[in-house]
Amino acid sequence: MKMAKNHTQILLVGNPNVGKSTIFNALCNKKQKTGNYAGVTVASHSGTYVYKEREIEIIDLPGSYSIYPDSEDEAIFSKFLIQEQNQYSGAIYILDAMNLKRGLLLFQQIQDLGTPLLLVVNQIDEAEKRGIHIDFELLSQQLNTKIIQTNAKEKIGLDELREAVHQNCFTKSESISFEIPLEQKEVVHRISSQANEKNPYKVWTLLSSEKYLGKLESVHEQLTDHDRKCIVPKRLQTQETIRRYQEIDKILPKVITKKPQFKELLTEKADKLLVHPFWGYVFFAVILLFIFQMVFFMAEYPMHWIDAGFAWLAENVKNILPEGPLGSLIGDGIIPGIGGIVIFAPQIGILLYFLYLLEDSGYMARVVFLMDRWLKVFGLNGKSIVPLISGVACAIPAIMSTRNIENVKERLITILVTPFMTCAARLPVYTIIIALVIPAKKFMGIDYRAIALLGMYLLGFVTALVSALILKKTIKQKTKSFLIMELPPYKKPLFGYDFKLMLGKVWEFINGAGRVILAVSIILWFLSYLGPKQNPDQFVATGVHLHDSYLAKMGKAIEPVVAPLGYDWKMGVSIISSFAAREVFVGTMATLYSLDDDVEEGPIVEKMRNDVKPNGEKVFTLATGLSVLVYYAFAMQCVSTIAVVYRETRSIKWTTLQLVGMTGLAYLAAFLVYQFFK
Amino acid sequence: MNQSGKILDYDNNRLMMPNKIIEMGLLPETIFKILYQAPFGGPLYIEFGKENSRIALRKEEAEYLIVEQIR
Repeated sequence: MKMAKNHTQILLVGNPNVGKSTIFNALCNKKQKTGNYAGVTVASHSGTYVYKEREIEIIDLPGSYSIYPDSEDEAIFSKFLIQEQNQYSGAIYILDAMNLKRGLLLFQQIQDLGTPLLLVVNQIDEAEKRGIHIDFELLSQQLNTKIIQTNAKEKIGLDELREAVHQNCFTKSESISFEIPLEQKEVVHRISSQANEKNPYKVWTLLSSEKYLGKLESVHEQLTDHDRKCIVPKRLQTQETIRRYQEIDKILPKVITKKPQFKELLTEKADKLLVHPFWGYVFFAVILLFIFQMVFFMAEYPMHWIDAGFAWLAENVKNILPEGPLGSLIGDGIIPGIGGIVIFAPQIGILLYFLYLLEDSGYMARVVFLMDRWLKVFGLNGKSIVPLISGVACAIPAIMSTRNIENVKERLITILVTPFMTCAARLPVYTIIIALVIPAKKFMGIDYRAIALLGMYLLGFVTALVSALILKKTIKQKTKSFLIMELPPYKKPLFGYDFKLMLGKVWEFINGAGRVILAVSIILWFLSYLGPKQNPDQFVATGVHLHDSYLAKMGKAIEPVVAPLGYDWKMGVSIISSFAAREVFVGTMATLYSLDDDVEEGPIVEKMRNDVKPNGEKVFTLATGLSVLVYYAFAMQCVSTIAVVYRETRSIKWTTLQLVGMTGLAYLAAFLVYQFFK
Repeated sequence: MNQSGKILDYDNNRLMMPNKIIEMGLLPETIFKILYQAPFGGPLYIEFGKENSRIALRKEEAEYLIVEQIR
């Protein structure tokens, strides 16, 4: 197929929960990617499709209720919409047929900014079921735009939408539907002529926004003291919103005929149980238990296959490649290292998939409603529950999902404590250490090891809450916290879309961690293959015994630092190399033990169990094991998380404080645990 | 629970009020109904307007609204 060279960029905008992602998914059947655009990191993705030999790129912006941002998510939306106006050729605005009123507010704001718009009214079938009939012809006239009716879930109306985009049916409104109030009219007009901005509404939005929406400095310089008195951004916003709603209220009765008394039966019935002051919490606990059950039991099979697959691969590679350095690098270092990551993909995938389904069905909003009161005590917001739960899979998407928390302090605390939640990368460390030091006995029918693992999860959660409480007391911040959140009607989740979303995230995880492990294994292998020269005519000694290698020398140099925690040099090296990512610990241990010729062949756990110190004591005792567990529960051992925290907080201070605080706590706790159990 | 009311106006303290309250459509003359409240003084679950929109908001936010009870 021939493709046009210069493709067209189209934005997809609208309120949250109007079916934006359904439309995005139905439109874009080709490559999807997350992308960064000129200075703005777009949280959502972009995708492309080809229609009549033209390539169209759709950029899916986060949902918003107005162009004045309250949260980071909405700020991304507004900045992109206003600052990148010459990047895209138009915007598709999605309106929920069941809630025209709320959607039209943002529609008219965007229209007044001079953005070429195409209006899509989605979920018309659902609206009709509720007895809502819309006169589209009249609405189109009133709003001065072309309207496409869709029912994206059933893929109805999408061809019309593609055709309209192809025909470039985006209309730019010449007039402005919002009349600038008399009091500010003079200032707005003066500034528009001074700044050579023809659109008075653009000037108005710049004056009304508290957080900078555009290049505001030049505008603010031109304000006189008298101007400043009549310009209180908050008041202007309120005024605008109320006036716009008054106008919308005049249009709506003309275009909507509604049979009275439709009842949202499913939602009404479900919420009787799901937000019940007692049964609501019971249900939530059951859902969580069910998900964790799935994560551990359903993932067991694929994990087993992956394990066997990588073992087979390593074995074969070693047989094919000639015996020697390269074979051992690939067979002992890289393949087991990458296998150690891929094996956790099923668990992360299952957990994320369930979380996406809960979010998509509308249930997560109810969880926020139920948890807000409790999380408020710890300086968090009800919305913090989503990052906290997804932190059990991986802190990176979890920290990114804090963007919809409006209050700066609550968002910061959530970002700072989320890495305490037991993420999937800690599991390989926990699993191997628990297998080493906790006996496989049962207590009242429950496995000791299961109890230990559960204990680690609880430890992470409790630490997150306690540190949140401490941060709440120490961070001084005055902005008012609030919770105002839509409770969308329940709907059947988009199983396929959520599955694709999950696959993308899992692949990101494997890809990112895989590279780190590859790099770490190569470095480790070189350091262990080479050693200080043993006779004068050598530059370095190659193929040395592990104990004579550079790696061992370095490890022994840092041993005094880790000895109080009960670790030998191998664990010291593993901990240092796992600063990149926690799961590297196991890969490093595996590499180190497979390189050590003194240790008998066998599974890694057996090798570790049988390892002894020079004085004959076992390396892994209960005290050492518990010390490692506690260390990994607290330490900030993940470069990618540090990078995301920095990107989201834009603060070196908080990123450093988190790193030092968590790792310091880890060292102290591991020290105390070791000394106590020794 | 299950109390209905009509929004008359906003509190004098309106500069402190999050604009989101208005953006969501809680405007003067709007009729609303409190459906649920989370335990121990948690957020309110209300339904309002001709669209029967449902939102959750804390008591602190609800206090910005001056309302009249409807029986």
